[in-house]
Amino acid sequence: MRNLAEKWTAMPDWRTAVIDTPGLAIRSLTGLHQFLVSGDLVAWSKASRIPLQPVGAFGTATGDTCTIQVARDRLLVVSAVPSPVAQGWHEQGFAVTTVSAGLMIFDFEGPACADLVPRATTLDPGKASASAAISFAGMNAVVYRHGERLRVHVDRGLAAYFWTWAATVAAT
Amino acid sequence: MQLFHCPFCGTRDETEFHFGGEAGNIRPDGADVPADRWANYLYMRDNPKGAVREVWVHMNCGEFFVMERDSVGHEVVSSTSLDGAGHAR
Repeated sequence: MRNLAEKWTAMPDWRTAVIDTPGLAIRSLTGLHQFLVSGDLVAWSKASRIPLQPVGAFGTATGDTCTIQVARDRLLVVSAVPSPVAQGWHEQGFAVTTVSAGLMIFDFEGPACADLVPRATTLDPGKASASAAISFAGMNAVVYRHGERLRVHVDRGLAAYFWTWAATVAAT
Repeated sequence: MQLFHCPFCGTRDETEFHFGGEAGNIRPDGADVPADRWANYLYMRDNPKGAVREVWVHMNCGEFFVMERDSVGHEVVSSTSLDGAGHAR
């Protein structure tokens, strides 16, 4: 029987994989909890005691827990700790869904990051946009800054493609 | 490339959007809807030349909205969230 696995790019070891070029380093971030909050975001903020400070595309998030706006009534919460609110629907009018296994997080660091962004998206990184969900490298991604670095969340199934894209663009 | 305006996110590339049909084409409700009403809903389009009102969706954030634009010159006149757009008009 043919080994069809040969048709696909081997998945990098995300714990150690790094793209390192002059002025740019790209790594995957592991160990962070990610959950989606849908519905009444103010009610969720009260219930979870996490401040509602929505960050849009290329906005700057800070701290161990950040609330990234991905739609009018939906947040992607990225945190060092699990959700303080149980998964599922809550009577206050919101739902919480854990998506930690569904999205890969990539961390872009260095001055050459500014050269990579225009090759990934037509969106002006200097202009505010309410939602961090944008087309990036030809796919739907969640993009924002965390401190001095750029964070990109992509569907886990497309992570190998995104890694190949980033390595190609970083090298040219 | 053309830029469209999502009522929530702001200006984005046209490739992030998907056409949702002519505004005001409301799905018939109920079991006793006559066949010609269903046919109108499913198959009949005004397809005007010039000013149009259309439902679009911003695929990245999932916002549905009504866009008023010109089907000849492609000028976008307005984008209004579906809640406040009076889709049924």
